[in-house]
Amino acid sequence: MFSSSTARRLSRCTNRRFLASNAYTKPSSPSDAAISTTPLDITDEQRAALDSALRVDQAGEVAANWIYYGQHYILGKQPVTGPLIQEMWDQEKKHLEVMNKMQLQHRVRPTILMEVAKIGGFGLGAVTALLGKEAAMACTEAVETVIGEHYDDQLKEMESLPSTHPSVPLMREVVKEFRDDELEHLDIAVINHAQRAPAHALLSTVVGAGCKVAIELCKRY
Amino acid sequence: MSAFRSQLLRIATSLVRTHGFTREALSRSVLELPADKAHSEPLSDGAVSSLFGKGEYARKSLIEAWLNEGIIQMASKPSSSLGHVLHTRLNYNEPVLPYLPEAFALLASPERGLPPLDPRPALKHAARIADEASYISGDTSSQLSWYTHRASLAVMYSCAELHQLTSPETAHEFLDSLLTGSSAFEKSLDEVHLFSSYVLQSWKGIFRSKGIL
Repeated sequence: MFSSSTARRLSRCTNRRFLASNAYTKPSSPSDAAISTTPLDITDEQRAALDSALRVDQAGEVAANWIYYGQHYILGKQPVTGPLIQEMWDQEKKHLEVMNKMQLQHRVRPTILMEVAKIGGFGLGAVTALLGKEAAMACTEAVETVIGEHYDDQLKEMESLPSTHPSVPLMREVVKEFRDDELEHLDIAVINHAQRAPAHALLSTVVGAGCKVAIELCKRY
Repeated sequence: MSAFRSQLLRIATSLVRTHGFTREALSRSVLELPADKAHSEPLSDGAVSSLFGKGEYARKSLIEAWLNEGIIQMASKPSSSLGHVLHTRLNYNEPVLPYLPEAFALLASPERGLPPLDPRPALKHAARIADEASYISGDTSSQLSWYTHRASLAVMYSCAELHQLTSPETAHEFLDSLLTGSSAFEKSLDEVHLFSSYVLQSWKGIFRSKGIL
């Protein structure tokens, strides 16, 4: 069903020995300070930066879920592409579950543009899927490129947070794990002929620019 | 200086019940410092101005410090019951009720004359209490329901607080009636949502059977 390299990458996704996100999805102790409290000894600027970072991360995962929903709505019945999209979508569902918990833990205001993110995500996924499976993969490639870079930038910003509070190292590990997952999706999209999509350069530029605008808006609103 | 100012503000909030939200409360706060730091005389008006601001700015600082202390008081009595948390906050108002109308009016007064009323402090006050109450009661709303939950709490608390200013004896019952009404309204909304989803499913089935989908 899949190419052998795709199968290897998916296998690597699911066979990691330790996932930071398991602290949220399979907590051994729900009252663990790392998953239930937020650092109080940070400056107002650090707090504002943490707020906007988690806000945009949550919005991004919502949008990613709805992009895959839109793609699956159109291409879900295809024998190769359908299960591939479903596999990546399942991973994004897990990301969203973790981000929802982190938003509550750190008392972050979610973006007010959440419904826009859902409609925009579904629309983007469905429209690119209607253009064909290569276009859907090109959309995934463009989105995951921007998100991967965004998580990388966040990791650099998070270095300034004090590691004394247990939630901070965990947050860094979770962001690292999610960044790696998004980059794997990027690889999967490329392997599955994203670059054969019609007007690939234009599509990637437009989708990438749209993602960057969405990130800036969700940071603020 | 900032730590000393914060310490004096905290002490002054405990003097509000006897002196109101006044420059005198700020001035007398130094008399209540720990024994090794306490002054023998209240602060002069000049000292109050230099620490807390001239004229009404000092009083606004005191009001804001008192409101912040109210948030801390809410958190000091955690409860999973939203009603209990909001009642705790209403109780915090009781010792200073006679001074509150003027305090809120002062906060709503514009700094430069126009517009004649600034609603932002009132909105911020209600929003902070709603957010804190949601957090203390363990609310897990996310995405859009995070906003709707807090907005409805802010409106309910604001109504109850306004009611308390005119009729303190019935304020708690009024708050309870608002909370009960709100949960009934929420149940009705959920039922409408469920019914709508059934209707949507049946439409989907009809369209599929006609070959439209």
